[in-house]
Amino acid sequence: MIASLSSEWLKIRTTRTIFWLLVALTALVTLFAVASVAGEHKENISSPHNQLDLLGIGFLALLIALIMGLIVSTGEFRHGTITPTLLATPSRASVAISKAIAGMLFGVALVALAEGFVAFELAIALPIKGVDFVIQAGPAAGFLGRVLFAAALWGAIGSGIGLAIRNQIGAVVGCFAWLFFVERLITAILRVHAINSHAGRFLPLQATGAVLNTGTRNSGDLLSHAAGMAVLCGWMALATVLALVLLGRRDVS
Amino acid sequence: MIAVEDLRKRYGKKTLAVDGLSFTVEPGRVVGFLGPNGAGKTTTLRVLLGLVRANSGQATINGKRYVDLERPFCQVGAVLEASGFHPGRKARNHLRVLARAGHAPKARVDEVLKIVGLEGAANKRVGGYSLGMRQRLALAAALLGDPGVLILDEPANGLDPEGIRWLRDTLRSLAAEGRAVLISSHVLAEVEQTVDEVVIINKGKFVAHGSVESLTRSVEGRVRVRSPQAAKLEKQLAKAGLKVDADGDALLVTGGASSQIGEIAAKSQVVLHELTPIATQLEDVFFALTTEEQR
Repeated sequence: MIASLSSEWLKIRTTRTIFWLLVALTALVTLFAVASVAGEHKENISSPHNQLDLLGIGFLALLIALIMGLIVSTGEFRHGTITPTLLATPSRASVAISKAIAGMLFGVALVALAEGFVAFELAIALPIKGVDFVIQAGPAAGFLGRVLFAAALWGAIGSGIGLAIRNQIGAVVGCFAWLFFVERLITAILRVHAINSHAGRFLPLQATGAVLNTGTRNSGDLLSHAAGMAVLCGWMALATVLALVLLGRRDVS
Repeated sequence: MIAVEDLRKRYGKKTLAVDGLSFTVEPGRVVGFLGPNGAGKTTTLRVLLGLVRANSGQATINGKRYVDLERPFCQVGAVLEASGFHPGRKARNHLRVLARAGHAPKARVDEVLKIVGLEGAANKRVGGYSLGMRQRLALAAALLGDPGVLILDEPANGLDPEGIRWLRDTLRSLAAEGRAVLISSHVLAEVEQTVDEVVIINKGKFVAHGSVESLTRSVEGRVRVRSPQAAKLEKQLAKAGLKVDADGDALLVTGGASSQIGEIAAKSQVVLHELTPIATQLEDVFFALTTEEQR
């Protein structure tokens, strides 16, 4: 398992995909950080809570972690490298679990980098706007811990979905559709028809919202931090089990 | 040793890819695995390597299924396709990735690059490789674990004549080191110069297994005859029970030696311009056996 994990980590590091994802991430968080600081009134970004929300811009790295997880897994099928991968590691469970762990580690690394970058940018941009940088270590550490936890899970979810779906374009488009459309639609349908008006809280994006919630926004419809983490763990487990079962059953031809 | 026993694999309800196939490959032998397109060669090799599940029967290497072997990458090397590379990854990194996963020593990466003659292109991205270079890289990956068994699916695809000669020499020297080599190919003339014996399959079923020499002996030879009185000669040969086919301005006679044909021509007072025995090639054996199967 360690050999397989080490190999997966090396795979991630030895293509240019990682470079371009880091460029995209840097551009994205810089854009959002600058726009947030420049576009808000001073009083809206001066409290520690408000600034913690700004630090939350790094959560965009969750999306990149998901995409990376998807690419790591679907790339094996796209380029046919699944054959040499399974020849070197014939245990398909080991391959699926190694990919999930590699996705987790990569997600954590990405989000840590993104949050560090956002904090650096805020430390420069806020004083330029005439606002003191007042993020407190305690709440910031708590938030960072939760966002890193979510990053690990989203990286693993991406790996699992990628192994299950196999088609790279299909997997990426499917995940984007879920995140930006399907989940909201399901939540709205559940609310309108009152089947269970709070059931939407258990969907992955909303569970992530619960994990990252800093308490400044309306959180009446979100789970608690702990419950959000548990639900997100459940989604990660589901994606990984799906990957284990489907990779284990399918012929590689 | 490679052993395939009563292997059966069906895709969906209609396609029976492998139908009760059995054969063995002994260590130190280079065995050609031949069959027309769709005969079940690749499926058999993939079952052998644990990539495809058989419906029944078994395929083992050194007495165990591939997945049950301890460090299988160091016991079995395989080349299945020339497309198993990430185009953005450098060749050396591709091998490093596999060496890590397969427990092959790190130093082996440079050794195999040297064996396949890619040391100068090791730091190039595989996307810029020609098909021949990819084949060499695939073989390098197969050799990473210094395995005792090599399974190669169409390894000569994309190689230029120099590359084909290199492959032949490499395979012979690998077999001389005591390795068992199973090589599937549709380039029959090439296989003939490389292998000790061949396994021929058709429509998923076993057709023949033996040395190239014994199989070519088993197929009747042909004689090419040219005569200005071809029509008269054809009648006489047919009367003697020989099979005659037209081949341009010549006749191809099956079932008789050149001496017998010469005597028939002499008795019939037919002038001959050519009387050439045609050596039986593996290709003749292949077509004779697979055509027979199809009837």
